[in-house]
Amino acid sequence: MRKPTIYHKYYFNSLFMLILCMCSIQFISAQTGQVRVEGTVSDGTGPLAGVTVSIKEGTNLGITDANGRYSIDVAVNVTLVYNYVGYDRIEKRITAVTPNAQKVYVLNVVMEQLGGEEIEDVVVVGFGTQKKGSLVSSITTINPKELKGPTSNLTTMMAGRISGMIAYQQSGEPGADNADFFIRGLGSFGAGKVDPLILVDGIESSPTDMARLQPDDIEAFSVLKDATAAAVYGARGANGVILITTKTGAAGKTKFSFRAENRMSSNTRNFQFADNIRYMELANEAALTRNPLAILPYIQTKIDRTAAGDDPLLYPNNNWIDMLIKDYTFNQGYNINASGGGERARYYVAGTYNIDNGVLKVDGRNNFNNNIKLKNYSIRTNVDLKLTPTTDAAIKVYGQFDDYSGPVGSYDENNNRIHGGQHIFRSAIWSNPVMFPAVYPASFSPYTEHPLFGGAVSGLGSTSLLTNPYAEMVRGYEVYKTSTLQPQLELKQDFSFITPGLSARAMGYLKRYSYFNVVRQYNPFYYRSYLNPVTGEIDLSVLNDGGPNSIGVTGSEYLNYSEGDKNLDSRMHMEASVNYAQRFGKHDVSGMLITILSSYQTGNAGSVQSSLEQRNQGLSGRFTYGYDDRYLAEFNFGYNGSERFASGYRFGFFPSFGLAYRVSNEKFFESLHNTINDLKFRGSFGWVGNDQIGRREDRFFYLSEVNLNDGAYGAVFGENSFYYRPGVSISRYANNLITWEKSRQINLGMDMSLFNNSTEIIVDAFHQKRYNILEPRSFLSPTMGLMGGTPQANTAEAESKGLDASINYNKSFSQAWWATLRANFTFATSKILKRDELDYPENMSYLYRTGHSVAQTFGLIAERLFVDDVEVANSPQQFGTYMGGDIKYRDMNGDGSITLNDMVPIGWPTTPEITYGFGGTVGYKDFDLSLFFQGSARSSFFINPENISPFVLNGGAQNGLLSVVEESHWSEDNRDAYAFWPRLSPQFVQNNTLRFGPNEQYQSTWWMRDGTFLRLKNVEIGYNLPTEKSRRFGVNRFRMYLSGSNLWVWSKFKMWDVEMGGKGLGYPVQSVYNVGILVDF
Amino acid sequence: MGILGMNQSCDSYLDVVPDNVSTIDHAFKLRNEAEKYLFTLYSYLPSNGSVANIGMLAGDEIWIPYQTSIYSNAFEIARGNQSVSNAYVGSWNSMYQAIRHCNIFLENANDPTKIRDISDAERRRWIGEAEFLKAYYHFLLVRMYGPVPLIQTNLGIDATKEEVAIPRNSVDECIAYIVELLDASADKLPMIITDRTLELGRLTRPIAKAVKAKVLLTAASPLFNGNSDYANYTNKDGKLLFDQEFKNEKWVQAAAAAKEAIDIAEEAGHKLFTMPPTSFSLSEQTMLELDLRQAITERWNEEHIWANPNSTTADLQLQAMAPLHVDHNHNNARKILSPPLKVARQFYTKNGVPINEDRTLSFRDDTQLRIATHEERFHIAEGFETSRLHFDREPRFYASLAFDGAVWYKYDSPSNSDENTFVLRSKRTDYAGSTHAFHFNVTGYFIKKLVDWNQTMSSSGASYRVYPWPEIRLADVYLMYAEALNEAYGADNDEVFVYLDKIRGRAGLEGVKESWTTYSTNPSKFTTKEGLREIIHQERLIELAFEGHRLWDLKRWKKSAIYLNAPITGWNMAGENAISYYQINTVYQQRFVAPRDYFWPLSENAVIQNKNLVQSPGW
Repeated sequence: MRKPTIYHKYYFNSLFMLILCMCSIQFISAQTGQVRVEGTVSDGTGPLAGVTVSIKEGTNLGITDANGRYSIDVAVNVTLVYNYVGYDRIEKRITAVTPNAQKVYVLNVVMEQLGGEEIEDVVVVGFGTQKKGSLVSSITTINPKELKGPTSNLTTMMAGRISGMIAYQQSGEPGADNADFFIRGLGSFGAGKVDPLILVDGIESSPTDMARLQPDDIEAFSVLKDATAAAVYGARGANGVILITTKTGAAGKTKFSFRAENRMSSNTRNFQFADNIRYMELANEAALTRNPLAILPYIQTKIDRTAAGDDPLLYPNNNWIDMLIKDYTFNQGYNINASGGGERARYYVAGTYNIDNGVLKVDGRNNFNNNIKLKNYSIRTNVDLKLTPTTDAAIKVYGQFDDYSGPVGSYDENNNRIHGGQHIFRSAIWSNPVMFPAVYPASFSPYTEHPLFGGAVSGLGSTSLLTNPYAEMVRGYEVYKTSTLQPQLELKQDFSFITPGLSARAMGYLKRYSYFNVVRQYNPFYYRSYLNPVTGEIDLSVLNDGGPNSIGVTGSEYLNYSEGDKNLDSRMHMEASVNYAQRFGKHDVSGMLITILSSYQTGNAGSVQSSLEQRNQGLSGRFTYGYDDRYLAEFNFGYNGSERFASGYRFGFFPSFGLAYRVSNEKFFESLHNTINDLKFRGSFGWVGNDQIGRREDRFFYLSEVNLNDGAYGAVFGENSFYYRPGVSISRYANNLITWEKSRQINLGMDMSLFNNSTEIIVDAFHQKRYNILEPRSFLSPTMGLMGGTPQANTAEAESKGLDASINYNKSFSQAWWATLRANFTFATSKILKRDELDYPENMSYLYRTGHSVAQTFGLIAERLFVDDVEVANSPQQFGTYMGGDIKYRDMNGDGSITLNDMVPIGWPTTPEITYGFGGTVGYKDFDLSLFFQGSARSSFFINPENISPFVLNGGAQNGLLSVVEESHWSEDNRDAYAFWPRLSPQFVQNNTLRFGPNEQYQSTWWMRDGTFLRLKNVEIGYNLPTEKSRRFGVNRFRMYLSGSNLWVWSKFKMWDVEMGGKGLGYPVQSVYNVGILVDF
Repeated sequence: MGILGMNQSCDSYLDVVPDNVSTIDHAFKLRNEAEKYLFTLYSYLPSNGSVANIGMLAGDEIWIPYQTSIYSNAFEIARGNQSVSNAYVGSWNSMYQAIRHCNIFLENANDPTKIRDISDAERRRWIGEAEFLKAYYHFLLVRMYGPVPLIQTNLGIDATKEEVAIPRNSVDECIAYIVELLDASADKLPMIITDRTLELGRLTRPIAKAVKAKVLLTAASPLFNGNSDYANYTNKDGKLLFDQEFKNEKWVQAAAAAKEAIDIAEEAGHKLFTMPPTSFSLSEQTMLELDLRQAITERWNEEHIWANPNSTTADLQLQAMAPLHVDHNHNNARKILSPPLKVARQFYTKNGVPINEDRTLSFRDDTQLRIATHEERFHIAEGFETSRLHFDREPRFYASLAFDGAVWYKYDSPSNSDENTFVLRSKRTDYAGSTHAFHFNVTGYFIKKLVDWNQTMSSSGASYRVYPWPEIRLADVYLMYAEALNEAYGADNDEVFVYLDKIRGRAGLEGVKESWTTYSTNPSKFTTKEGLREIIHQERLIELAFEGHRLWDLKRWKKSAIYLNAPITGWNMAGENAISYYQINTVYQQRFVAPRDYFWPLSENAVIQNKNLVQSPGW
């Protein structure tokens, strides 16, 4: 095999030649029979800079300068075309003109802005733009202004605003608050990629990259939903594509825009604890109800003295949420941008600075800040250059930097990272509230410099201490920094001189990402208090000083340091395309061919195979044909290769076809134009692929993955165990035949504009069939003796279908009143069509996954709680040790025992099937008010009973008592078979938690809840200083606004913010109140 | 423009994988790599020198506090929670994985073009080791699951659904194949390990022969030999899995194999362990106790035919050891392994007969108390008041168990002698009392036998001298031989008594005939096959107590249904004085469903997945 790098070089050379070739074209037109045309282009209020002036047949002649002036030499009998983004194009025919005395023909042009102040008629599509009117595919575009809100995370603004996107947010922790989002719902299952491809200016980006974008900097935001739109992305487009383009400069005087926001953020909802007297009483009940001989954890004296509250140091009484969490915090966000330029160079530069703070309290005794503080800065420079009259270049450099500091995070039982904030919230509920105070007053030990944290041994004779969540929070801090740098170069060459309408484009970028984190923390000293029998006063004794009776980790006054992760990755991408667009009479023809190469590599990959470059290569094309703006046809294809598959299975061809019929342009429709301004029907059909299948480690399915030095399979021999050799393990067997997942998509859509374009309705219905989904072979039984995961094959199929619709309404009622209303709705449901499943006997056919949603949960049906032990004895065998008051499950297959084969599909899918939003803005004179509601329906989530099992001692954790448990639990006095909580217990009850191993926890209907909600997502009240007034201060626009987000939620579920679902004990979603100003000058 | 031309180098651009990414072929290029594969085969040997030993916690020999100090899946079986949806400590998957490795190894090692840099002799020995392990892993499956599919050669991963659906082989087929492999391997294995520094613990011929004896003994035992409980146990195609005819020939074969194993072992230098003199002056009683304790815990001692260095015993000793002084921390001596009262009763009297047969001594009332005399001071602290049950017992009782008031002599005895040495005290308020939240004893018995006498403890910590776990010791083979002889030829065979008496002699007891004749209320018990069978069974349970054999022996003898339906009892660990402590407390009422519980269930889905596989009976 030859070295791959050779091809790099080859490719670079080719690209270099192409660029050279473009640059070297010197286009000098013939000078005969010509006239000089000069003039000014304006929009009626002022000059327009940067308007391109060209001959209709293609040749670009120039652009207007800062004063809107242009000057060109043209032949007689040509048509000049004036083009400016966001403005209606103007055509002027130069016939027999009379030049003035200076032999110059003066032609002043007034251009009209389109559809308000933002561009509306051009839609960003894969590798280009298309006119909205001639779109055939299903693409949602959204005005970036709608994504503005009091947040520094763009992803939190998408739910309910983008038709076709299902989105929800499960955490409000700065740095970990990205929403999850899927285009048209989940279409596949397994370990592979299911979320969309995100491209920012063509650069492949992560959800976090997207989260950090500022709406101020976004020019256009498109979501490609169907095969016709996404086919050009070939093997990477099956999950939908999000295309974002950033703003470019407009020629003219430098314009500045400055926005500053100050946000007050607080938890939408905190979980509620019962009071601690009840905590102790019920802890005693829990012990006794399971074992009548049990020793009571809390003696009556302690309960009485705690209730009296006269000695909080000896009889502590903590509400950890109150002690750890502030009511609110303040965040700031600043964005400034400047744009301008002249004929040859235009620029847009922007800088952003956001500070997001957490809601954690800080201990004044430490000289470091343990609260969460995430600062992110970004700087963006977009420069457009006119290298020659026909050659454009764009150089974009973007740098994004996160600086985070926060409490020390942790890892869960599956070794997944727990962010610091989430860890603190979880510690708050996982800690005993009555065994120790958070910290003793420093006066107890005037000479010690460290805080005197309260502590207690986790059980008699134990060597570990109970968790003190306050100490957990303030004991240190974790810092991480990330940086993303992405320089990008784009060249466009107009080849109209060869044939009108022909152009070429090449783009390349390099993206480097780096991350590191460092943890610095001290080991707290914990103290216990006792009544000194001699002095009769409270004394403290240290629990973990390292002496002979020291318990737990020995304390230290100094900070320890631990090396953190260091992640680096690099992506290189190049693409080159030829474009052709021309109109012949009534025939509109365009074509595009693009070839791409991309390569991705990560620094700490973990294995040889993972460390190798991930490459993609492809050729894509788009051909469109339009007849009289009435009949539109489009053919797209992607031909892609991925290095993950065996030679021969690497390349895939993904064609798609689309047709549209613009009824409103028919003659017979003219009579209807008063009501229906525009009506178009669209249909598309095609294939898209997904090569990101399987686990991340499954890089090369055609190779086996073998560890020839696996310590877990080693052995040792010799008298003194002297000779050790590691062993061999196989984590994957070679399989040549594995290839990508494919998606066949059908989309039917309608676009309609009504009532003078005041109302716009877009409706799309879709059907998608996903096949070649990778899944394990069901029949490879254990007697095969295979190691690692079961070998897989591209065997499963799923379909998803649904509807997305949006309606927009814009109207000015008078000079003073105006309104815009928006609503959109997304419904996406999925069904597994085929899976390689076991052949279940007839009475167990409910076990088949086929026929259910890809996100369907299977679980046991909980009938109710056992009434008493007699019923327990006469019911089917359940799990572990259980008694009256524990959950009773239904024996589905009637074999007399409850097993995992009694699990049936329960509830809605875990990903919502419906996301919707509605709202609008009403303006009166200089004031405006916006409201936006967002909702979600048809989803279920599961409370994790282990997380809220009160009194259970689990290592140092001992759960608190939520008020819902206190209010409703089964007890011997109150045998409520439908109480929220089963019989109390000081230990986990396997029958109720359904935990069978570290990674094995199953669900039941008992803990299932409905995820449906509707929330008041955003409110904004704004005041714009009238232009006449603001101009006096040299300001074009001045706006002040008050806004808020997540202000109210309607849901049946009250324990925590329902949108957090099963992650309810983490860092809550935030309600934000914001004051902002926006100044343009 | 050449744009399309850029696509020319398509496929090569995507060839990112260099040539030498490791694949399975690399494992057999050189001896050094192939040796790692050989060690991989060994790595599947169960860690029996730990609380993971199924034989220890899945039966009735050792009880533990539930889900406090350790969480044991085997213990769930003891608690009667075994189920098809969640088959505890099944080794269906891991053993077949091990067998696949064995097959891969054998395929490659038998190919002379692989592992070019190995000598013929070594290649032959490695093949022998792989053959042995393949047989042994099949045997472990048979012991747990009864008739199992034999995987003589591997299937490719592209095997079809039909090819993969392998049915069970009959028990006789399984045993025949295992024995065939063991015979093949024995010739290739060395008599002794000569390179003790690098290789001690690798397989030898005595090991192969001893395992063969064990396999044949198992096959001859009532559970497998003509067991009519399984008259209807057939494959889907009607193939009978248990031969319904009892064959005495199986016992004859087992006896011959055991004799062969004894001869080979003795030829290789194995003999019953006795303690060499120490630097301390110790009483005869203590020296005898050390003979018996160290027979298990003395590293690589001559009695160990097969010791597995991959299963060391630090944790096991930690869980067995108890604090012997107020300064000793419960974390360093967790004492959770709690033998029930019935195991304490099972040991003989000092006269070498069962406690209910001794005509000179009465053990009718366990709660009766008695104070230890000066003469008894090497077993029970002088002047200590404890149960009648703890007095007048055979040396193995004191060597195997500790109890409230028991003397626990160790190398670090503060007196440097066995006078005034460590005494265990386990009433609730005492230093070994059950006060700790996690680490406490539930019956009042502590396993002295598993702790090396070199164990030391101080207020700051403890150190345990680990020993490779003895899988098979010579005493085991002697008892196998005695059992097989009695079954095959009856009680009038003197050789039975020769080997039984070797064991008893080392334990300081007189021979069977002398003991029963002199002390037993049933003096002619040994003259019948049935009576002698009882004597041999009890001898075996006593001699091999706490070594993980009892569970399997009771199954083999079809006695589990009797033993495992009796309650687990112990002393009242909450008692703070002799009166309250020496009350019999029921810890758990065990339940054993026969014949269902004799074999492990397959997971519910295993029989759905493989249409030709039948579930174990009763599940």
